[in-house]
Amino acid sequence: MLTYLARIVLKMLVTFFAIVTLVFFATRLSGSPIDFVIGEGITQEDRALLTSYYGLDQSTWVQYRAFLASFADGQFGLSFVERRPVAEIVGERIWPSLQLLLSSVALTLALSLPLGILGAVYCKSWVGSAVMVVAFLGYAVPNFVLATFMILVFSYWLNWLPVVGNGSAWHFIMPTITMSGILIAGLTRFTRNAMLDVLGQDYMRTARAKGLSEQTVIFKHGLRNASITILSVIGLQIAGLAAAGSVVVEAIFAWPGIGDLLVRSAIVRDYPVLQFGVIAVSVAVLLINAVVDIAYAYADPRIRLGRA
Amino acid sequence: MKRLLATTAIATLVAVPALAVELTVGASNIAPYLDPGRDHSNVGSQFYHNTFDTLIAKNLDSDKTEWLPGLAVSWELVEPTVMELKLREGVTFHNGEDMTADDVVFSLNRMYQATFPPYQVRARDRLANFEKAEKVDDHTVRIHAKRAEPLWETLLNLQQVMIIPEDYTKALAGDPKVAENDDYEAFSLKPVGTGPYKIATFTPGEQVVYERFDGFWGDKAPLDRVTVKRMPETASRITALKTGEADIITNVAPDQLSLIDGDPNLKTVGAATALFHVMIMNVNHPKLTDPRIRQAMSLAIDRDTLNEALWLGKAVVPASHTMQEFGELYMPELETFEYNPEKAKELLEEAGYDGFEVTFDTDAVYYTNGLLAAQAIMEMWAEVGIKGKVQVGEKWTGNAPELMARNWSNPMYFADPFGSFGVMWAPNGPSESEGRFNTDEAYAKIWERFRYSSDVAERKAAYGELMDRIKADPPVLPLYRPYESWAMRKDINWAPKPGNIPYVLDFRAGSISFASN
Repeated sequence: MLTYLARIVLKMLVTFFAIVTLVFFATRLSGSPIDFVIGEGITQEDRALLTSYYGLDQSTWVQYRAFLASFADGQFGLSFVERRPVAEIVGERIWPSLQLLLSSVALTLALSLPLGILGAVYCKSWVGSAVMVVAFLGYAVPNFVLATFMILVFSYWLNWLPVVGNGSAWHFIMPTITMSGILIAGLTRFTRNAMLDVLGQDYMRTARAKGLSEQTVIFKHGLRNASITILSVIGLQIAGLAAAGSVVVEAIFAWPGIGDLLVRSAIVRDYPVLQFGVIAVSVAVLLINAVVDIAYAYADPRIRLGRA
Repeated sequence: MKRLLATTAIATLVAVPALAVELTVGASNIAPYLDPGRDHSNVGSQFYHNTFDTLIAKNLDSDKTEWLPGLAVSWELVEPTVMELKLREGVTFHNGEDMTADDVVFSLNRMYQATFPPYQVRARDRLANFEKAEKVDDHTVRIHAKRAEPLWETLLNLQQVMIIPEDYTKALAGDPKVAENDDYEAFSLKPVGTGPYKIATFTPGEQVVYERFDGFWGDKAPLDRVTVKRMPETASRITALKTGEADIITNVAPDQLSLIDGDPNLKTVGAATALFHVMIMNVNHPKLTDPRIRQAMSLAIDRDTLNEALWLGKAVVPASHTMQEFGELYMPELETFEYNPEKAKELLEEAGYDGFEVTFDTDAVYYTNGLLAAQAIMEMWAEVGIKGKVQVGEKWTGNAPELMARNWSNPMYFADPFGSFGVMWAPNGPSESEGRFNTDEAYAKIWERFRYSSDVAERKAAYGELMDRIKADPPVLPLYRPYESWAMRKDINWAPKPGNIPYVLDFRAGSISFASN
């Protein structure tokens, strides 16, 4: 198990370094922050003055080294726009994003696992078909359409739910549903399919033949074996959600999170914030993957013991 | 905000100033920093007026120029280049410090003798004629100009020379006795002024919370607390107004106005902004050096149709680079720009236009209706035979040699043609330095008369000559003054003031009130 953990950590470190480097060079390809920080109508002379003030006249290599060095003090440099440490700016926004991510994951798991199992167990009845219809609908509706539709109905017409910010529990309802919509649809289908695969296996027939209750057969023998497939999908989807899903949702609901920050700093080319924001999200994805890897090992002894 | 309704109702009935009057504003953007000196962005301009004062104030209820005492109670020219100002006594900064001549001298010299690069940039285009400020006694200062200045009051009424506290600022970082770059950087996150509202909380890019400053020297603020929150999505912003999460919202698109006005509890107000959306043309592009080609590009554009189609006729199409807000310098009689497709065709013919492609750069979203206008302009060009092509991109191409045409904006930074046309099109100004506009000695001479003549008639004559130059060899066409709208609860009486620069969210006494119902 220790070697397995060590391998996970090493893999994370290498990936992290690759991301950091890629992010640094990619952000620099998209234009100069001077245009956006200062706005319109400056002379070439003044542009040069500011370029030098922000240290952007230095060679890329010097800037890259300074960028790596900025990791050392834990501040990750200064934002071009706000002129305060990037760690502080991103730090303010991690918790709101994390809250939204956790509530979305919780809602997803609470709905898609039971729905998927129902869909598999009753695959030949109307229950199974209904589950599939819901899943396909969820897949087909883009999240910004879902969000706008909910805002129209629940806020604009009915005035039941607040639209902007994260001030209360009520504020979580629409953003959470928007974030989890596609996830629920996807995971329900995967759970259903994984369960269907397992339900047809010989050992299931054996379990039933032993006289075990249907509940034990489905949950202990069925779900446990289906869980490997389900886990890998959950991992991928949550990672995807952390990386991209929040961008749209946070903009629509004025949620003060990382996604919203990323969009804003991308627009103004605030390299330091953008770099660290992307890195923070990447780290989140790496961590989620690591957690999934560890969960695999828990679910499947063959992986844990390296005999797969 | 039912509480507010209750408050105003009770206040009008029993006149007990008991409950707090609070307001929430949903803004499409919040400034990333708050320092009036370095900022001249449209986003930032929203915020400074409530918190900072200038030495000389202006009657904002009128678009005629009328100067009023601000932090200075009187001012007189003691020499042609020296202005002496008597400062108001008993003025307190939000942090409790008294305002003295030292603070005024510090605030002015941080711009006049700027060492902090963002200040240098802002000072150069509008404050270049000022040498220094000096203290005479605790409540008297003198300002020295390099040469006789016809725009003293105008240039002491600028956002960039609002007064900030010296000791507080210097102590923010590093050595507390010395003004360092980091002090100014820190100030922009913890701004302190003398205005009727102090900034209680500032989350950059996210939220500004104002609170009434009880120590304010003038008429007390009418609101106890104003929260301006970022609500980037138009649909969410409008819905927030409807649900009561916001009392006022900014930046309502023209096509949404009827939706809001149709709601019995809401209303909209708007005005043509003191800013031109313009088309710029690169006079130095090898294919566009013949002025006739650029004249044709300009004459082919039917700006009134653009206004009708894109702004429901609410924008203002100018005949010259002039605005009512310029006061005495407003020159509606100038006819610099017109729509004349026949003349455009003739000029193209004379210039021997061979059908080469003219590119027009635009960002997809930066200017409201910018992309739509660009597409419509392509159609209008096609009518006279110009082959145009829209290039959508995010990069600023105004300094690229291959630029042919693109959209841009020329805001009114202060109420004078120098504060609008002047900032962008001065000799060696941004346009010339970016290589898409040329000036010569003759232009510079006219410019001198326009900028420094003490006689208004002379300044107007010179401005007319500058416009003739622009007409003869056009680098720019002002398309229109866009229409900017705000929406609010029906009982709120608020509207942008005609004497202010664009976008200011003014909540000072006399700027906002509530209908008692």
